[in-house]
Amino acid sequence: MDTLKSAASYVADFISGPMPEVGIVLGSGLGSLADSIENPQVLPYSKIPNFPVSTAVGHKGNFIIGTLSGKTVIAMQGRFHYYEGYPMTIVTMAVRVMFLLGVRTLFVSNAAGGINPEYHIGDLMIINDHISLQPNPLIGPNLDELGPRFPDMTRPYDPALIRKAREIANKLGWSLHEGVYFGDTGPSYETPSEYRFYRTVGGDVVGMSTIPEVIVARHCGMRVFGMSVVTNEASGDFAEDYQNDGEDVVKAADAAASKLTRIFKELIASL
Amino acid sequence: MSEILAPYLKAVEYIRSKSNGVTPEIGVILGSGLGSLGEQIENPSIIPYNEIPGFPVSTAIGHKSRLIIGDLGGKKVVAMQGRFHFYEGYTMEQVTFPIRVLKLLGIKVLFVSNAAGGLNLSYRVGDLMVIKDQINMMPNPLIGPNAEEFGPRFPDMTHPYDVELRRLAFRLAREMGIHLQDGVYVACTGPSYETRAEYKFFRVIGSDAVGMSTVPEVIVARHCGLRVFGMSVITDLAREDMPDDYVTDGEEIVKAANQATSKMTALFEKMIAAI
Repeated sequence: MDTLKSAASYVADFISGPMPEVGIVLGSGLGSLADSIENPQVLPYSKIPNFPVSTAVGHKGNFIIGTLSGKTVIAMQGRFHYYEGYPMTIVTMAVRVMFLLGVRTLFVSNAAGGINPEYHIGDLMIINDHISLQPNPLIGPNLDELGPRFPDMTRPYDPALIRKAREIANKLGWSLHEGVYFGDTGPSYETPSEYRFYRTVGGDVVGMSTIPEVIVARHCGMRVFGMSVVTNEASGDFAEDYQNDGEDVVKAADAAASKLTRIFKELIASL
Repeated sequence: MSEILAPYLKAVEYIRSKSNGVTPEIGVILGSGLGSLGEQIENPSIIPYNEIPGFPVSTAIGHKSRLIIGDLGGKKVVAMQGRFHFYEGYTMEQVTFPIRVLKLLGIKVLFVSNAAGGLNLSYRVGDLMVIKDQINMMPNPLIGPNAEEFGPRFPDMTHPYDVELRRLAFRLAREMGIHLQDGVYVACTGPSYETRAEYKFFRVIGSDAVGMSTVPEVIVARHCGLRVFGMSVITDLAREDMPDDYVTDGEEIVKAANQATSKMTALFEKMIAAI
C-alpha cells in the first residue's frame, strides 16, 4: 500500500491542474489515441518510484495526463504484461495508482486474436465478459483500503457503458462485435488446439493482457469499459506454413485504432 | 529423522501433547460457515492453529482457525475448523501442511467440506453435493521434489473420492431422508468470484460446483494414501442469467452455509459411526 501511495503522490505532484477522473489503458498498437489528448503532460514510467518499464513490442512507457472530450484523463501509453516476468502486483500497479489519483472509470483496450470464426482482422469487439487462465492478481493478503476480499465479477464490464457504446456505433453506422475476451499468459501464441479449446468454452477473442487490470479495477469499485481490436484470425484452420507475426499485429491494430479512439472519446464525453 | 518429515513431526508432537496422546482415525475439514460440526465433538481438546508449530494462520471469513480432537460417532476424530486457502497468499505447501500432519497423527480417512457455487442448473441454494470428482484450475500442490516419505512421484487420481464412502453416504442419506446431489467440483484460485463466462466454461467442461479450496488438500491426501470423502454445500447459484445488478456476496454465502450445516453434520456423524 505504501508503494502504491508513494507512486500516486509522485504522479499527483507532477500533474498541474485537476486530477484525472477517467483512466485509459492503451493496448499494443493503440497508443495513437494519446495524440488526441489536449494539453498533454507526459510522464515516463521510468521516473515514477517503484514503477516497472514496459518491454512489449508496440508499447511506449508513459502516463499522459490531459483533456479528452472535456474530461481530465490519464492514459497509459504502454502497459505491463505478466509474460514480461512481472508479478501481478506490478502488472496491476498502474490501475491502483490511477484509482488513488481519483479515477473512477477505466477504459481498457487490447489487440486480440479472433477465435470466433465470424471475426476478421480489423474488427472491433466490445468486451462483455472474460475468461481468465492467468493467475489472479488479488492472490495474497487483501488490501481492505481498496476493496473486499472476494470481489464480485458478475458484470466486470459496465452494462450501461456497453449499451451507450452500441448506440454510438449505431449512430456512426459501424458494426461492432460484442463478446468474451479469453486471457492467457502467453508469451507463446496459442496452438490450434488451444484456439479450439477456448472457442469451445465460449471465448470470442484471445489475448495476453487486460484481465488482471480489470479484476483490480473492479476490486476497487471502478466502472470498466473494454474493447478489443481483432488483429489476427485464430480460428483453427491454418495453412501449414502459417505463422503468427508481431509486426502484422501492430499494423492491423493501427488501422482500427481511429474507430476505437472515436468510440472512447464519445463515451468519455457522455460520462 | 528425515529432513522432509521434521516440520510435520514437530506439529504432530505438539498436537499430541495437547490432546492426551489421542490417536485420531478420521480427519474432518470444515469449510466456510460449516464449522459447527466441531461443536458436536465430545471430550474435545481444542488447539488454535497459531499455537501449532508450522501452521499458518487462517484469515478467511467464516473460519475459526483451530483443531478440535475428540469423539464423534464413537470414533476418535480430528476436525479442522478453518483451512488455508491459496488466495490468502500461502504457498501450496502451507495450504496442504495440515493434511500431512493429520496423516502423521494417524488418520486413515479424510472428510472434506466446502461452500461452493452451484453451476449445475438443477441445483438450489442449500443443496448438499457429494463430490464425485474434481477439476483443478489451481497450481498442483505436489509440484517440487517429491516427498517419497508420503507417496509416489506420480499419484493416481482415477478415484480421488473413495467409491465405498460415496456409496455409504448415499445409503445413509436415503435412510435419513436427506437429498444429495452428486457432482464434479472445479477449483479456482479466487479470490475474485468467477465471471458469467467462466461459469459457462466450467459447466461446458463438466463441472457442477465451483469453489476456491479442497482440491489441493485432496491431492495431497491421496498422495499419502488417505481415503477421502468430500461434500459441497451449495451456497449460491453460479448462473449467467443474473440481473444487471446481481452481486455475489461473501456474507450471504456464509449465511447459506450455516443453514445447511445441520444436515451435513448429521450425515458426517452417521458416516463416521458406520466406518
